[in-house]
Amino acid sequence: MNLRVIGTLAAKDARLYFRNRFFALVTAMGLVFYVAVFWVMPSVVEETLIIGLSGPDAAVAELVGQGSDGLRFEAASSPQALRAGVEDGAFLAGVLLHDTPGAPVAAVFAASTPEESRQAVSTLLTTLLGALSGTPPAVVLAAEVLGPDLAGRQVPPRDRLRPMLALLIVMVETMGLATLISQEREAGTLRALLVTPVRRRELFTAKALAGTALALGQAALFMALVGGLASQPLPVLVALALGALMVTGIAFVLATLGRDMLSVMAWSVVVLVVLTIPAYGVLFPGSVSGWVQLVPSYYLVSAVDLASNFGLGFGALWDELAVLAAVDVAALALGMLALQRRAL
Amino acid sequence: MADPAIVVADLTYTYGALRAVDGVSFTVGRGEIVGLLGPNGAGKTTTVKMLTGQLRPASGRASVLGFDTVRETEQIHRRIGVSFESTNLYEQMSAQENLELFARLFDVRGFDARALLARVGLAGRERERAANYSKGMKQRLMVARSLVNTPQMLFLDEPTAGLDPTSAASIRDLIRAERERGATVFLTTHDMAEADELCDRVAFMNQGRIAALDTPLALKRQHGRRALKARVAVGERLEEREIALDEAGTAEAVRALFADEQVVTVHSEEASLAEVFISVTGRRLEQ
Repeated sequence: MNLRVIGTLAAKDARLYFRNRFFALVTAMGLVFYVAVFWVMPSVVEETLIIGLSGPDAAVAELVGQGSDGLRFEAASSPQALRAGVEDGAFLAGVLLHDTPGAPVAAVFAASTPEESRQAVSTLLTTLLGALSGTPPAVVLAAEVLGPDLAGRQVPPRDRLRPMLALLIVMVETMGLATLISQEREAGTLRALLVTPVRRRELFTAKALAGTALALGQAALFMALVGGLASQPLPVLVALALGALMVTGIAFVLATLGRDMLSVMAWSVVVLVVLTIPAYGVLFPGSVSGWVQLVPSYYLVSAVDLASNFGLGFGALWDELAVLAAVDVAALALGMLALQRRAL
Repeated sequence: MADPAIVVADLTYTYGALRAVDGVSFTVGRGEIVGLLGPNGAGKTTTVKMLTGQLRPASGRASVLGFDTVRETEQIHRRIGVSFESTNLYEQMSAQENLELFARLFDVRGFDARALLARVGLAGRERERAANYSKGMKQRLMVARSLVNTPQMLFLDEPTAGLDPTSAASIRDLIRAERERGATVFLTTHDMAEADELCDRVAFMNQGRIAALDTPLALKRQHGRRALKARVAVGERLEEREIALDEAGTAEAVRALFADEQVVTVHSEEASLAEVFISVTGRRLEQ
C-alpha cells in the first residue's frame, strides 16, 4: 500500500469533513455542549442517611451521638419542623420521641419513601432504640467486603455520565463519515479516484484512518477536558481508539444502506440510538438487562467506565478490549465488503 | 498499426440479460483522436469503463498502451487521464485544490495548478470553490483534472456537452494541443459536427456493436450521397437542379447544365456524419 496516497486521501477526507458546515458545527458545538453538561452535573454523591429527631433534649442528644459515616441524626426544632423536613426530603425519616418510658415511638416517612426503605429504617431504629434502652440485639453481624472497599468512593453522577458522552462523540463521527462516503458516491468522486493510481484498499484504509482519527481525536480531547484521562490514560485511549475503529466500520456499512445522504443519516440515527443503550447501564446501574452485552458499544462504555472511574488497568480490562478488537475486525471487514459491493 | 494505443478484441459486457457491449473489436493508433459516436444506451460509456478498468468484461480482451485492462489496471491508470460525462468534482474544494489533490495522487513533482487552469481558461478563478463554478467552468476543470499527469492517453466522455460555443471551442483546442503533444484521445460524443471537426477516425456504436469505423471523410464517401445543386433562371422564375456526384453520367450532366441552362448559383452538397449515421444504423443519434 502506498502511504503517500493514503495520507493524501485521509487529509482530503478530514478537510471535506470540516468543510461540511453541518458536521463542522455539530462537532464543535457537540464538544462544547458535552463538556458543559459534564461540568454542571453533580460532582459528589450524597450518601449519608439523615434521620430527623424531635422530643426530649436528652433523648435526642443521646441519639445524635450515635451517628456514624453513613447515618446521621439531626434534631428538629419541633414536631412540625420534623414533619416538614421529612416531607421536603431533608430527612429520610423522622422520629418522635417521648418522655414517658415505654410509650410508643412514632416514625414518620414521606409518601414517596419506598417500602423497602421504610422497613430498613424501622428495623434500624428498633435495634438502636432497643440498645439504648438496655435491650441488646440478639445477633451481632460481622460485615465482610469482597474486593476493594469502595465505600465512600462512589462515582458521582457526572463521572458516570462521562463514558456516555464519549460514546456520543464517537458516534456522531459515524454519521459524519457515513454521510461523507455517501456524498462521494453520489457525486461520483469515488469513480474519479479509481481511475488514478489509487487502489481500492488504499481508499478504504484512508477513510478508516480519517474516520478513526476524527472520532478518537474528539473523544480524547473531551476526556482530557473532563478529567477522564487522570487515572488510567492509556487504557482509556486504547478503548476509545478501538471504539473509533468500530464506529468507522459501522459507518462504512451505513454509507451503503441509503440511496442518498438523507437516508444514510436516517439509518445513522437508528444505529446511534441502539448503540447508546449500553451507556444507560453505566448511568443508571441496574436499569438495563443483560442482553445489552450483545450491543458492541457496551464494551467501549464498560472499558471507559472501569478505567476512568475505577482506575482499572489493562489487566482488568483485557476481556472488554479483546471483544472490542474482535468487533473492530468484523465491522471493518463487513464495512469494506459492503462498500466494495454497493458504493464503488 | 505497429504500436497501437488501444486494442479491443471481441469485448462483451452484460447487465443481466442485456448485452450492453456485444463483441466489439477495434484498434486505435498512438497519437490518434478517435471518436465513439452513438445514441444513449449504445454502449459507449460501458466500453470506456472497461477500457479504463472500471468494469471487468464478461468476455473478450482489451489493452490500453500495451497493458491488459483487467490485470494491469494500475499501469494503465498511471498513464491515462479520464474526464467523465457527469460532473464529479470535489465541490467544497477550490479548483486549485482539486487539481493539487489529483497531482499528489499521481505523484506529479513540481505540479503547477495555476498554469494548467490558465490553459483551460480558468486563470484568476483558482481559489474559488468548484461549487461556485458554472457548468462550463466545471467541465473545463474536469478536462484540466484529466491532464494533471500529462497522460499518454485521454478518455473524454462528452467533454463539450452543454457548453457555450466559446467554452466548447477552447476545449477542442485543448484536445488538439494534446494530440500535438503526442497523446492519444478517445472521445465519446453525441456531437457529430465536433467529431467531424476533431477526430481522425470515428466509430459508430449502436446496440452494443460497432457499426462502422473509419475517417469521417471515408464514411461520408462510402455511405453519404454527394450532389451538385444549382439554381437556374427559367424565364422570370428560378428553378433548382440537382446532379448526383460519383455517378457514371455526372460529368456529362454537369457539362449539359452549364451549356443548356442559365445557371444563377451553384454549390456542392456533402452528406453529414449524422446522415451517415442514420444510413449505417437506421437510427438517429438522439433516439
